Order: sequence, then structure tokens, then C-alpha cells
Amino acid sequence: MTTYLQTDSRTELLLRISIVWRGIFALLAAGGAISLWTGTLLPAAPLWQKVLVTAALVIASIFSAIGAVLISRRNHGGRMISLTLDYLSFVICAVLALNTGEVFVGIDALAETFTSGIPYLGIVLLGYFLGVMDEYFPQKKQDAETSLKAASRWVMLGGFVLFLFQVGALKGILYFLGKLTQPIGIASVIGMIIFAFSLWLIGQAKTAEALHVKTNHEQILSGWLFLSPNLLGFLIFFAGPLVLSFYFSFTDSDAINTPNWIGFANYAKILNIQFAFLSSPTQLAKEVVDIKIYDEVGRFVIGNSGILFAAADKFFWIALRNTLTFVLFAVPLSVIPALVLSNVLNSKLPGMKFFRSLYFMPSIAAVVGISLVWQWLYNATIGYINYFITLGIEFWNNLFNLAIIDPKIQWVSDEKTALFAVVFIAAWQTMGFNTVLFLAGLQNIPGELYEAATVDGAGAWDKFWAITLPMLAPTTFYVVSTTTIQAMQVFEQVFILMNPPEGPNNSTITLVLYLYRSGFQNFEQGYASAIAWVLFIVIFGLTLVQFQRQRKSSIYES
Amino acid sequence: MKIQSYRFLQFLNKFVIYFVLSFFALVMIFPFLYMLSTSFKLPADTFRYPPRMLPRDPASITVAGYEEPLPLYYVDVNGAQKEYALAKSNIKVGVYAPADNLTATVDRFVDEVTATDKTISVSGKDEKLFDVTVNGKVVSMIQISQTTVGEFIDPQNPEIKAYQNVRKSEPVESVGAHPENYTRVIELNNMNRALTNTALVTILVVVGQLATSVLGGYAFARLKFPGRDTVFVFYLGTIMIPFVMLIVPLYQLMVLIGWTDHLAALIIPWIFSAYGTFLMRQHFITFPKEIEEAALLDGASRMQILTNILIPASVPALATQATFTFLYAWNSFIWPLVIINVGNEKNHVLTLALNVLRGRASDTPNLILAGAAIAIIPPLIVFILGQRFFVESVASSGVKG
Repeated sequence: MTTYLQTDSRTELLLRISIVWRGIFALLAAGGAISLWTGTLLPAAPLWQKVLVTAALVIASIFSAIGAVLISRRNHGGRMISLTLDYLSFVICAVLALNTGEVFVGIDALAETFTSGIPYLGIVLLGYFLGVMDEYFPQKKQDAETSLKAASRWVMLGGFVLFLFQVGALKGILYFLGKLTQPIGIASVIGMIIFAFSLWLIGQAKTAEALHVKTNHEQILSGWLFLSPNLLGFLIFFAGPLVLSFYFSFTDSDAINTPNWIGFANYAKILNIQFAFLSSPTQLAKEVVDIKIYDEVGRFVIGNSGILFAAADKFFWIALRNTLTFVLFAVPLSVIPALVLSNVLNSKLPGMKFFRSLYFMPSIAAVVGISLVWQWLYNATIGYINYFITLGIEFWNNLFNLAIIDPKIQWVSDEKTALFAVVFIAAWQTMGFNTVLFLAGLQNIPGELYEAATVDGAGAWDKFWAITLPMLAPTTFYVVSTTTIQAMQVFEQVFILMNPPEGPNNSTITLVLYLYRSGFQNFEQGYASAIAWVLFIVIFGLTLVQFQRQRKSSIYES
Repeated sequence: MKIQSYRFLQFLNKFVIYFVLSFFALVMIFPFLYMLSTSFKLPADTFRYPPRMLPRDPASITVAGYEEPLPLYYVDVNGAQKEYALAKSNIKVGVYAPADNLTATVDRFVDEVTATDKTISVSGKDEKLFDVTVNGKVVSMIQISQTTVGEFIDPQNPEIKAYQNVRKSEPVESVGAHPENYTRVIELNNMNRALTNTALVTILVVVGQLATSVLGGYAFARLKFPGRDTVFVFYLGTIMIPFVMLIVPLYQLMVLIGWTDHLAALIIPWIFSAYGTFLMRQHFITFPKEIEEAALLDGASRMQILTNILIPASVPALATQATFTFLYAWNSFIWPLVIINVGNEKNHVLTLALNVLRGRASDTPNLILAGAAIAIIPPLIVFILGQRFFVESVASSGVKG
């Protein structure tokens, strides 16, 4: 049995306005969708944008119509639809208004005046500390405490206003209003007012009551409302681009012209490889493969013959080889010392926290800056690394009366060592981070296990193998997989350290570097997207393999 | 006896532990020390081999009769090492010998001998003859080689002179820093603006990301609404996706909106973070529900609960995330590299400015490393201030992960 509450005439009117508004909204959205294809709205937009906007408008139109029907039936679903559509439209209008007023682009102008405002931010900080001082007041002096808090608030506000004035906020606001008088700006402001009014209409307690709103609806609405900024940003700047990236990988997009659908051509180009048997290890590539299509990537020599590996895009395969080599060396080099260090740090001696913080330092410094530092450390003639090697060799020679020749390694300009120079930087930078992770894992192992082992007469080494390593397996999995994922994306070190970034004889070209080169130097963005997806599949595969191994090895745990 | 050896073993154990730790500490800290020391050096000092840790200043002295202060060098005078001032450099000295006895050489300043038009054939080659005064007699000799030396004088007694190769002489130096490298690199490379830009971008990203993460995390942790768990799983699934996947489409999105070359492109996309939201959710979910329910009964709104109860109680978690975000925003390179034009220097962030500096000052490591220090030191300060929260939370993320 349903009982209808008596609604007063004002609420009736508001509901009627809402129904009409929903109808108008549906018509406007539908009209917008049609004019998109007749060419009056956004005539220059590429196909995917048109499809996307049309889909959004059609959905909005349909839902708005449904909303109108539901409100007329006094169903609370109508309220939900109304609130959602009007809220989203309001947000779109607000962003449009801000963008028309050049607020986002105007951050650049803020950067120009920002420095002059910093002293006033100091005043804000001072005010904050003034407010914190109340803790030092004796309990009874309530008056003094509240007035102090008030003073603190005024100082903070004053400082902030002065800051705004100093950075030219007034000028900025005037500029904003000036820009807003463009047709789009005025339209979006009007839209904002209309949508805000509609939100107010339907959000009223009495209309809500008339629409039979239940108590848990409040939670649903505030849930979505609280999540909405985050979710919208996530969809626009993460999920959307991710889908777009997948689409681009099937096109010849170049960031300027309209992308053409070319199917699997990008992937086919990447995967177009050929193996050929060589009759002698030095046989020329042109004798066994069609060098108009294929370039030699490498050859495996077996006795007196060999196999030639050729690919249509040799840079991709060289990049893949370099990246995997990098991972193969950088991951153990940063994980194994971290494991050792964490075990040493786990001894409860004084000063361990100090060492822990010290080891952590490299991982927070900018990779670009760090790479510049190492570039000079690696310098073949004046760098410290070669100096230490020279010292070590001299010491060794004197000690054993040998005559080992100082190699004077040309770290970054020799193709044999260039990649390893990058490996050492990366290992150095991630080691401390991994140490902290391992240390936390170690501190979670129950001490009784070790005590029991000691009673059984196990030595330190036995304990490490039989208790520490198995118990640490989940942490190890986490450390190894995150380090691997990071190492697969190596770019900054290479880009800064090497000149040119691909290194001597392409010895340091990595997948991300190649992606950057294809996408932002050659502007083959479709191809770059395909590389990104292949990279993702490789990373995903490696993680999966590690996950399988971890599952096998974690039998000990149960 | 037994106890003693046990004690000895313990001591040995501790010794080994501290030795290993100190060794790695040195490895970890050395590049930073090198960076700092080089950033205070003079350019010539940076190219010295063998390298030295402390920056030096060449010493100089004012000598009567010379306007400029003269640089001091260690000079070998009759077997004794003395500190002499370099008065004149690039004095040409020739080694001369008679054509018939090439081993009987004499050293003379080039302007003390007179060249003649005559030549003589020595082992098949025609050599020019010079008139050289030896013991008061003029002898015709040929020039065997020529070097340049410097004239060093005794600062106390400028009449006493000594000649020696300047390049092979060891200059007198004292430890002295050159902080003006920092001002020079700031002037050279517009680092001032880059520093401001980086600070602005970082502040806005940190504040924005905290705001959206707190709101989203609260919704995920505390509010029940249909679709919540689906969205959350969706968020979780994307955490592991590497950023490079997005770089191309995000670039095109920025082109579409018109944000390329603007700081907005470095800020707005980074305000929304699935990982940050996840962390905040994990934090809020540990918070006792009862307090919130009591506040709701008292008529508080969700927003009031969040701002008055939850946020003040979550300062450590917020500080951790702020530190994380700060480091990420401050250190990011590939995205600014893609989105901000190399020529548009007024919108460069520090990492980009360093990339430019690398090419512009490739022969002055002192300036490059001063630039690197400007980029590296602020995060280190933030780390030292926030490390109590930061290191702990990194540790706990690993245990949970």
C-alpha cells in the first residue's frame, strides 16, 4: 500500500519546473548531438571526439527524459538522475568558464609573480604558529587562549590577502572577468547559474520528501559526491587516455593530422622478425635476409655456423635487449645488497636508524640531478671512479708485486660499459629503498622461530637459509617486482648520462627511450603507443612469472 | 677464558657490522659529497687530477712594483722549495747547441739570442743558425727545442728571480669555497624561474592531490553506495600501470585542451591519483566508526566530520602522502620534457633546466653540479623533516603489499 504525502503548492510548482527543465535538457542534449553531425557544432573535431561527445549527449538526453517521467511519478530515481546530470553539467560549465577565463593557463603568470609573494606566505605561517602556541597557555586562561586563536586567524588571513595582492590576484581577477565576456564564457556562466538553480530545486528537503527519498540515499549521494572530483579526474586523465592509447596503437597518429585506422600494422612492424642460418660466422646479412626489409639485430654463433636474428625495426629489438639486460643486472644488484644490508641493520645496535636514513637518501634525490653527478664521477680522466680503480690497482700491484695495467675505462663512451654505467646508478639509487622494505619484512618475522632454531643448534647461516629467506618471500616478491617494473621503464638516467641518449652504437637505447624518440622526436605517436603496449605486456608477463614463483615458494608460510 | 673469547667474538661481530654499514654509508653518501664539494670549486680546480675533495683557492700576494696581486707557486730554488710569486709567464726559452756537438747544450731566453740568415745542414736537414753568447763569446749554434717558462720572484725581495715551467709548478693553495657558483648558475640558466615554477607546481600538486585523495579515500572507506567496490577494484587494477603508457594520449589530450607549454599540464593531471586515494582509504578504514556515528547523530554533516574529526587525526598519514607527492612532483622529468618546449624557458621546471644546463655548461662541472644541488637539496630537507613518517610508511607499504 502506498500513501501519498500531501505536498504544498510551492513544492508542487518546484517539481513541475523540474519536470519541464528535464524535458528541455533532454531536447537540448539531443539537439546538440544532431548538430554535431550536421556540422554546426565542433566542425573540426576528429571522429573519436565526435563519437565520444555524441555518446555523452545521447545518454544525457535519454536519462533526462527518463528523469522527467520518474519525477512526474514522484519516484526518487528521478531526483538521483536530476542531481547527477545537473551536477555533471555544472562541473563542465564551471571548468569551461575557468578555461575561458584562462585560469589554468594563467598559472604561468602566477609563476612570474609568485616569488614576490613568498614573504607574505611567511606571515601566514607565522599566524599558524601563533595559533599552535595556545598549548603553552595555562589551562585556566580561556580568554587569552581564544583571543590568541582569533589573532592567529586574522594574521593568517591578512597574510594571505597580502600574498594575493602581491602576486597580482586583483589584476588576474580583472583579466579573468574580461576574458569571461566572450560568448562561450557568458554561456558557461549562464549554464552554471541554471544548473545551480536546478540543483537547488531538486535538492530541497521538501522536494526530496515529495519524491519519497529514503534515508540511505543521502549516503549514496554524498558517496558519489565525495568521490566525484577524484573519479572525474581519474577518468579524464587516466582511464580515458589509457583507452585512447589502445586506440592510437592501431592508427598512424602523428599528433597533428587526423589519425587513420591501420589495424595491426604497428604491431606487425614491431614483431616482423626473421631468423636465418649462417653458413659461416662472418657471413654478411645481405646474403641470407632481404635487407630492404630487415636489419640485422644480432647473431648467435654456434661452432662454425650460426643463426642471424633480423628485424624490420631493429631499434625496437635492440632496445628490448638493452632493457632486459639492464633489468637482469640492475635488479639483483639493488636487491641482493639490500637483503644483506637489511639483515645487518636488523641487529639491534645503536645507530641503526641513522644508517637506515642515510641509505634512503639516494632514492629521494632527483634522477636528473643524480645522473649529472655520476656523469662527472664516471669521467674517464678526472672522475673519482677511475681514480679509485687506479688507486686500487696500484695498491694491489705494490702488495703482490704484480703489473696489472690500469684499464682507464671510458665508462660512458665505450659500448661495452655504457649500459653498466647506467646499471650502477640505478642500483645505487634503489638499494636504500629496498633495504627499508626488507627491514620491515624482517621485523615482522616472529623471534620465536629463531629462538627455537638456536635451541636446535642451528648456526647463523642455517637460520638465514631456513627461516629468514622463506619467511621473507612475500617481501622479496614485492621488492623484486616493484624494482623490475621500475627498471623496465629506465629512461632518465640514460637520457642525461649519455650523449646522444642512445649511447655508443645504440648500446643504451631502452624501450622508453625508443618510445620517446618515436613519439616525440619522429612524432609517430601511433607507433609509440604500440611500443607502450608491448612494454606493458612484457612488464605484466615478468610480474606474472614472479608471482607464480612466489606462490610456489610461499608454501613454507602455511 | 671462555667468556673472554665470547666477548671478543661479540666485539668482532659488532666491528664487522659497523664496518659493513659504514662502507655502504660511504658509497651512498659519496656522490652527494662530491656534488657539494665540486659545486664550491673553481673551474680549474674541478679538472685537477688526482681529484681532491675540498675546494681550494689559489693564493696570491701583492708585490711592490706590480699592480695586480701575483699568484703564488712552489718553486725549486737550489734544491729548497720556496713560495714565489709568478711575475711573468710565457717567456720563451730555447735550447741551443753547436752544430758539431749537439750534446753541449745551453739554455737561453729567445730574445737574448740573435737569429742569423745562415743555415747549416745537420743530418740532412737545414737548420737556422743563431748567435749565442757563451761566457762572453758569441758562438753560432742551432736551436734544438723551445719551451716557455715563467718568471717567479721572491715576494720579499723582487730582485731574486727563478725560472720554471708554470704548468708543472704546484700552485700555493688554501682551502676556500666559492658559493658564487650558485648565483652564477642561477643567472646563467634562469634557474630562479625554474625554481619558482617547480615550487609552485609542487605546492599545487601536493595540495590538490591531498584534497582529492582525502575526499575519495573517505568515500571509499566510509560511505556505502552502489558501484563503490567496482570502482575501487578498477582503481586498484590501474595502480601498477606504468606512466609511460599514458604519455602519448595524455600529450594529445593536452594539445586538444591547449595546455601544452603551460604549467597547468604539469599540475592538473597529477592532482588525481589512484594510488593516493588508495592510501587514504587504507588509512581511514582503520579509524573507529563509532566516533563518526556519534557525530552524525549530533547532526554533523559528512564534510564537518571529515574536516573536524578525521583530518586532524590523520596528520601523519597526510604528511606521508604529502612527502611522497612532493618528491614525485619535484623530481619528475619525462612528462615536463614532453610537454614543455625546450625553447620556452620561462616555463621550465628544475629538471628541465638541468637538462639544458648540461649542454650549456658542459665544460664547467662546478656550475652543473651547483645546479644539481639546487634541484637535490630541497627534497633532502623535506625528507629529513618528514622522514619519521616517510620511512615508516614505505616500510609498511611493503609489508602489506
